[in-house]
Amino acid sequence: MSLILYHGEPNGPSLTVLAALFESGREAELVAVDLGAGERHAKAPPARLVEMSIEGEGPVLVADGEPMADSVFLAQYLDESGAGTLQPTDAYARWEMEMWCRFVIERVAPAAAFLGNRAHLTPTLQAMKDADFETLVGRIGSADLVARWRRERAGDYPEAQLEDSRAKIHQAVRKLEARLAGDWILGAFTIADLETYAWLAGMVSVVPEAFADAPKTAAWLDRVKARPSVQRALAQARSNDPLQAWAPGPEINRWG
Amino acid sequence: MGADITLFHWEPNANSGKPMLALAEKGVEFQSHYLDLLNFDQHKPDYLKINPQGTIPAMIHGDLVLTESTAIMEYADNAFDGPALMPEDPRDRWRVRWWMKFMDQWLGPSFSMIGWSIFVGPSVRARDPKELEAAIERIPLPERRTAWRKAIYNLFSAEEMAESNRRIGVGIGMLEEALTKNKWLGSDRYSLADVNGFNLGYALPMSMPDLANDEKTPHIMEWLRKIYERPATKAIWAMGRAPRFTERVKFLEREPQA
Repeated sequence: MSLILYHGEPNGPSLTVLAALFESGREAELVAVDLGAGERHAKAPPARLVEMSIEGEGPVLVADGEPMADSVFLAQYLDESGAGTLQPTDAYARWEMEMWCRFVIERVAPAAAFLGNRAHLTPTLQAMKDADFETLVGRIGSADLVARWRRERAGDYPEAQLEDSRAKIHQAVRKLEARLAGDWILGAFTIADLETYAWLAGMVSVVPEAFADAPKTAAWLDRVKARPSVQRALAQARSNDPLQAWAPGPEINRWG
Repeated sequence: MGADITLFHWEPNANSGKPMLALAEKGVEFQSHYLDLLNFDQHKPDYLKINPQGTIPAMIHGDLVLTESTAIMEYADNAFDGPALMPEDPRDRWRVRWWMKFMDQWLGPSFSMIGWSIFVGPSVRARDPKELEAAIERIPLPERRTAWRKAIYNLFSAEEMAESNRRIGVGIGMLEEALTKNKWLGSDRYSLADVNGFNLGYALPMSMPDLANDEKTPHIMEWLRKIYERPATKAIWAMGRAPRFTERVKFLEREPQA
């Protein structure tokens, strides 16, 4: 079974999947792409389900010729076809993991992407020539993902959504601080730790006040970072600070 | 087993119908606790003690409380005996999860926005304005408060309705394509993605006949009819109380062969 992982800098969804790969013990060919330059659409093999992924710009895992996307589901795939250590077996603990990951996917990730792109991606996109930007978005098959690229290039970040996004990062840290009793979120180390770390680590510099009074969260961030799988993922970085690598992510809930 | 399982649900439709149908497919008996969404039962104190978020459905299993329809279905599949509703192959499992997320977060909200605009809003709008405002204030989640306010006062913009319609068109095309590749949605075995998809799309051929019909989307039509014919589906839709839901599923009845 051949595996090829097209991944961005080890931040956000690419960090989750790289670390899950190393935890799973599976072998994969690694291909680094610049997600913030839209390279995924030029270099990874095209596929409808990847183009339409809710996650936006994330890594693509090609398993025996089938391109797949969405970091939590890729982590589950790697775990279920590999070592099988990243998910609880108890049905209730499993439900807790699913619920925690959904909270990150639906609330935290859109907020983090909004704030991270504003801080780090917008200046790069604004420096691009119009023709180059049009070439970039011309390759993208999802109209609403294109709309997010255009918004990010225009620097269109309404204050109400910024406020809401910062509130969601605060909420995530409060939730984490209240939940952490031992080393990991659910007791044992799971995909929930990876996915939460992947989206929150880059927020420490963007929304520092959210982390100001959260000692358990600070210690947990250090613990996740120290895991060999995460260290190995971070070693894939090609830039000086992968926490500054962002790309258009999941959209902010438009209904309900 | 049914004695310690209670499901809090509205009509067999969308989010409420998902765990109802999944439990029926597993052969798991449950106590049914009907909440009338249009009467705001889900925001009343008795129910908020069970689910403080005030969202439907919720399930009690022994002393555990489970919420969120897709997560409840996955819990039910893991916790109870009966036929497995997730495929075994890891890549099939990936596809099933992908489709559920796509429906829950992208396609479903577009259907929902239209349903709330043409049905939910008009169903409650005529009530006493003060009573409605008080009902909105009791909703725990800010996102849900916004949704109810939009539905009740018909505040949907033309742009967002157009975007929802665009997404429905794209989603129908993707479903049709997926059902040409596999026997069921995302895999060759009946799974939670099919349970999810049926709850989302069973009324499509009736509500959007121009987009979903035997000429344009034969695979979707056959898929819906096959699910409709399953005994579990029949049993669950028979639990509906409002004619809107019990009647429109019958549109999937096959024409008698001449």
